[in-house]
Amino acid sequence: MTKIDQFESVFKSAAKTSFQYEKFELGSVLIVTDVNVSQSEEILSNFKQQLQHCSDGRTQWVVLSGGQSQNISDLITDVEKRAPDLICTYRYLHEDAKWQNSLGDHTVALTQQTTPPVLILPNAADAENLLDFNSVMAMTDHLTGDHRLVNMAATFGRLDGKLHLVNVEDEMIFERYMQVIGKIPEIDTDTAREKILNQLFKEAKDYMISCREILKEHKPELDITETVLLGHHLREYRRLVETHNVDLLVMHTKDEDQLAMHGLAYPLAVELKQTPLLML
Amino acid sequence: MTLSVLTAIQESHTEEVIAHVPMEVTLFFTVILVGMIVTLALEEKIHAKKSVIAGTYALICLFLGAVFEILPFGPVIVGGHEIHMPIYIPAIDWGVIAIILGSSLFVDATSKSGLFTWIAIKLTKSSRGDLFNLLIFYGLMTVVFSAVLNNVTAMIIVGSLTAVSLNKLGQNDKLLGFLVIEGLLTNIGGLLTLISSVPNIIIGTAAGINFVEFFISASPYVVVVTALTLVIGMTRFKIKRLSTQADRDTAKQLVDEFDENDGVESQGFFWFGVAMLVLFILTIATTSVLPFIRDLGMGYVALLFAGIMLLKFKSTADRFYQALDWDLLGFFAGLFIVINVMEHAQVLAMIGQGVEQILALGPQLGSAAVLVAAAFFSSVTDNIPLAAMLANIFSELDNVSMSMWWSVVFGANLGGNITPIGSASTLVAVTIIHKHNLHLSFAGFVKIALPFALIQILIAALYVVFFL
Repeated sequence: MTKIDQFESVFKSAAKTSFQYEKFELGSVLIVTDVNVSQSEEILSNFKQQLQHCSDGRTQWVVLSGGQSQNISDLITDVEKRAPDLICTYRYLHEDAKWQNSLGDHTVALTQQTTPPVLILPNAADAENLLDFNSVMAMTDHLTGDHRLVNMAATFGRLDGKLHLVNVEDEMIFERYMQVIGKIPEIDTDTAREKILNQLFKEAKDYMISCREILKEHKPELDITETVLLGHHLREYRRLVETHNVDLLVMHTKDEDQLAMHGLAYPLAVELKQTPLLML
Repeated sequence: MTLSVLTAIQESHTEEVIAHVPMEVTLFFTVILVGMIVTLALEEKIHAKKSVIAGTYALICLFLGAVFEILPFGPVIVGGHEIHMPIYIPAIDWGVIAIILGSSLFVDATSKSGLFTWIAIKLTKSSRGDLFNLLIFYGLMTVVFSAVLNNVTAMIIVGSLTAVSLNKLGQNDKLLGFLVIEGLLTNIGGLLTLISSVPNIIIGTAAGINFVEFFISASPYVVVVTALTLVIGMTRFKIKRLSTQADRDTAKQLVDEFDENDGVESQGFFWFGVAMLVLFILTIATTSVLPFIRDLGMGYVALLFAGIMLLKFKSTADRFYQALDWDLLGFFAGLFIVINVMEHAQVLAMIGQGVEQILALGPQLGSAAVLVAAAFFSSVTDNIPLAAMLANIFSELDNVSMSMWWSVVFGANLGGNITPIGSASTLVAVTIIHKHNLHLSFAGFVKIALPFALIQILIAALYVVFFL
């Protein structure tokens, strides 16, 4: 009954996932710093200005400055108590930047042990400057159906800015499966390679088209670009971030199955030290 | 024309040997015929393909036919020319084989245009995701596809779409009901035209019923019983309209996500597929009156349209040949050979005497009895041997009324609705049910389907007796 499967495949392919727009309500924002109160106020002011297009007069802005919550468990407890919609901070929180090759323990703890998205600037100095999120990139290896990622990226970028939707299929995983398929006589390897790749690309592209159509209704001035490719994850993401002069990279960081940072988030966070990150 | 000449020659050979077949030989071959029917009924149990079963019996029958000297070996005369060919070649009804081969290739090639999936998805979207509408649309689509394509293809298309769309709508608990109703409707739709099912082709060809006559005679019954099946099905499986506006909005949004153009690779080929399908139906419908074409027959028409469609796939045509149902074609070939040998062994003549007893009941009671018997027989084994055998027997009898032929058509098709092995399309429905991890045993199917089938058979008997 291979024909049943053939027709089911045709219909499954036709049953697309459409993007669902959802406005992100910024009810309260928690700014976590390791500097004194007056510097923290300046940082607060910058964040307010940077995020003015996605906040309104009802948004509550709370600062957790240097002297408070210096150990991680206190910090997490403080954050949970306030239950913000967004946490804003920077790398190497409460730590010496020059020895760090990651985000820093406090910052990592904020991304992993709290539920709200975390906006991370490269360092405290950046937080004291006004940044412009003109070019925002939503990146993943499986964009189809990831409404939250796209909504977040569209929310935090400028209304007339650029939104880059990026789906990079992992070449190593793909080749691994192709090697296995190459050993199964019943499956034509060349056909499988062509068809699987086409379908992977098609699903992501169809979803991106849907994102473009629906976002245009809500943010008509947003310039949306779409990239779907097969490649080495880290290398391609780094290249794309550089090529598009990305001001804010939006990605998933939590993994339901583990406490550690989600797949690529950690290596990317290490590699892209100078790029602000929005970690979901 | 060739076939009729060959048949005529074979008949003359048969007449020559009639007197020389002893009763014990006839009874011996009758046992073999019963053995084949029983083996076909146990096809699923013994894990053997139909073609292997029928082929094995055909080889045995030919050998025994030669041993008992009942086969008319020798040259055959075709168009005035004496031709030497193996005895089993003229035994096969190549007209039927050509129709099945041609239409299978045509439907398969046309489906690549995305036409059938386009229609199916358009209807899904038109239903707005409401289960009540969806069942009506899918039911009607099953009937029409069964009539125009064939009931197996119809069940595959509609059944697979049903599984995908109900899953998308989060209504998997209704899948069993939908698939059972669609399975039952394939055999109703299979009654609509001469090319809808193999028994129709065999009986229609033997009885000299053309496409238009067949359609006009069968369509009133199909319309009424389709509506009735849908109504009973909705009640039996509690398929209702969505109650709240929010549910309706969500369902509409979900089915709107289907893209009917997803399977359409080329607009040009899509419209070519539409034109060819319309032309195919029109040509098949008018084959009996078209000059030149009427001599070539429906098999030629089917092969012609298949050939035209394959021009589009000239470099990959072999893929379509691979996708053909060779089991079905092999089964036919084997079956026709067995029946031909049975004819020479006087088995059909003996069964014909039994059938004459039924005919003696009169056109009304006799037709009803034939219909019910055919339905019962078709429910436990394949309906094609029945149709092929009765077509041969009826052709030999003088007092067969048209209602008798129709009784075989209705009985052979509707018998498929009693058990899951009664027809290939209900078997497909059960396969899809099992593929989606739903439990439905043989007895479970019969329990659900029997009330539907009894009503359908009762109405068919009344319709045949009083209207045909």
